[in-house]
Amino acid sequence: MTALLSGIFLGWSLGYHDAANVFGSAVSSRMLKFSTAALLASAFALIGAVLEGSAGIETLAGLTHLDLRLAVVCSLGAAITVTIMTTIGLPVSTSQAAVGAIIGIGFFNRQLNMAGIGKVIACWLGTPVGAAFIAVLVYRGLGALYNRLGVNLFQSDVLLRLCLITAGSYGAYALGANNVANVTAVFVGAGFLSSLSAALIGGLSISFGCLTFSRRVAATVTRKLVRLDAFSALVVVLAGAITMHAYTFVGVPVSASQAVVGAVLGVGIVKGINTVRRRTLVNILLGWFLTPAVACSLALVMNFAVHLHYVVAR
Amino acid sequence: MFRFLFKREHQVEQLIYGYLDNLKMVQENFLKAMNIYFERGFCEDFEFLIEQTHKLESKADDTRYEIETLMYAKALIPESRGDILGLLEAIDQIPGLFELILYMIQTQRLAVPDFLVTDIRELVSVSLQCCDLLVKEVEALFRKSEEIRSLVATIDNNESHCDHIERRIITRIFDSDLDPFQKLQLKEMVIQLGEISDQTDRVSRRVHIISVKRQV
Repeated sequence: MTALLSGIFLGWSLGYHDAANVFGSAVSSRMLKFSTAALLASAFALIGAVLEGSAGIETLAGLTHLDLRLAVVCSLGAAITVTIMTTIGLPVSTSQAAVGAIIGIGFFNRQLNMAGIGKVIACWLGTPVGAAFIAVLVYRGLGALYNRLGVNLFQSDVLLRLCLITAGSYGAYALGANNVANVTAVFVGAGFLSSLSAALIGGLSISFGCLTFSRRVAATVTRKLVRLDAFSALVVVLAGAITMHAYTFVGVPVSASQAVVGAVLGVGIVKGINTVRRRTLVNILLGWFLTPAVACSLALVMNFAVHLHYVVAR
Repeated sequence: MFRFLFKREHQVEQLIYGYLDNLKMVQENFLKAMNIYFERGFCEDFEFLIEQTHKLESKADDTRYEIETLMYAKALIPESRGDILGLLEAIDQIPGLFELILYMIQTQRLAVPDFLVTDIRELVSVSLQCCDLLVKEVEALFRKSEEIRSLVATIDNNESHCDHIERRIITRIFDSDLDPFQKLQLKEMVIQLGEISDQTDRVSRRVHIISVKRQV
C-alpha cells in the first residue's frame, strides 16, 4: 500500500488543479457555490475514472515493462515534477509528467513501445487544436439553438447557469475518465493492481483533490477566461470536456488545462477577438517540452539512485 | 413548469416591472402638475401633486434598493447583474429630474410668461413621449423583443426635436424684455426640461448595447 502513496499524491494534485479547469469559471464568477462545485467535481471525477478510465490505463501500462519498484519511481518522478513546476510557477501537465517519467524508465530499460509513445505525443499536440476546433463547432451549434429558443434575459441567465453546472459535471467526468491513467497506470503495468482497482484508487485520489481545490486556485486557473461572457465560458467548459472525453475513447490521457486554453482560442476565432494571451500559448509550448523532459530526467536520476549499492570498504 | 428554478429571477423581473409602472406614475403626476401650473398657477392641487411626485420618486428609490439587494443575493449571473444595476441607476435619474423641475418652480416661485407656455408645453410633451418609449424599450429588452432598434431610433429623433425646441425657447427668452434674473431662472428650468430627453436617450442607447451584448 505504501507503494501507492506517490500515485495517490499525484492523483490529489491532479484533482486539486484540474477541478478548476472544469468548474473554475463558474466558481470565480460566483455563478456557483464553491462547495457545490467541489462536490460535483469530486463525484463525477470518481464516476468517470471507474466507468471509463481503463482505456487510458491500458495505453500507459503498455508503454514499457515495469516492476513495482520502477512503477514507484515513475509515479514519484511524475509527482515531484508536478510539485516542483507548480511551486516555481511553470506550466505543467500531469499527463505529460507521467508519460515523461515512463519514457525515462523505458529508455533505461531499453523497452519502449515507440508506436504507443507516438500516439500519445500526437494526441498531446492535437489537444489544444482539437479543443479549438470543437469549441468553434459547439459555439456555432449551441449559439444557433440559443438564438432560436428566444428566451428573455432572466430565463437565459438561469439556463446558462444550469448548462454550466451540467457541462462542468461532464467535464469532471471526462477528467476522471481521461486522467486516472496518469495516477495509477504504472501500477497496472507492474502487475500490482488490476485495471478496475487502479481506476478506483486513482479516481478516489483525484476525487479527494477535487474536494480540496480552493477558490484561489479557481481564480488563478481561470484568469485566462475572465474576458469571456457567460455563454462563451459555457462553450469553453463544454468543448474542453468533449475534447478530453474524445481522447478517453482513444485511450490517451491529455492535459485538461491545454484543452481549456484551446477551447478559449476557438471561441476567440468565432468572435474575432484575441482571447488568449501570447504568454499562455508560449507556456503551452514550453509545457510540451519541459514537463516530459524534467519528469524523464527525474525518473532516470531516481532510478539510478535506487540501483546504487552500498559497498563495504575492505 | 420550471418556475421554481427561476424563483429569484422571477422576483427581480416582477420588481423591475413594478419599478417601470412607478416610473409611469411619476411621469403622469409630473404632467398633471405642469398642466395645473400652466392653467392655474400655484395652487393646492399643484402642491399636492409635487408631494405625490416626491413620494413616488422615493418609492422608486426603495424599489431599486430592493432589486439591488435581491441581485446581490446571487440572482442572475454577475454580468447581467452589472448591466441591470447600471441600467436602473441611469433610469432613476429621470424621476429625479421630474422632482427637481417641480421643486424649482415651487421654491423659486417661477412665473412662465404667456408667450413661452406653448413652447414649454411642447417640450414637456415630447420629453414625456421619450419616457413612454423608453419604458417600452426596457420592457422589450426583458421580453427579448425585436423592436429595440426602432425604439432607439425614435427616441433619438425625439431627443433631437427636444434640443431644437429647447434652443428655440432659450432664444425667445433672451430676445424678450423680461427681467435678466427671470431670464436666467427660466433658462435653467428649460435646460432641466431638456435634460429629460437627453437622459432618456442615454438610457435608450444603454438598453441597446445590453441587448446587442447578449446576442450570440
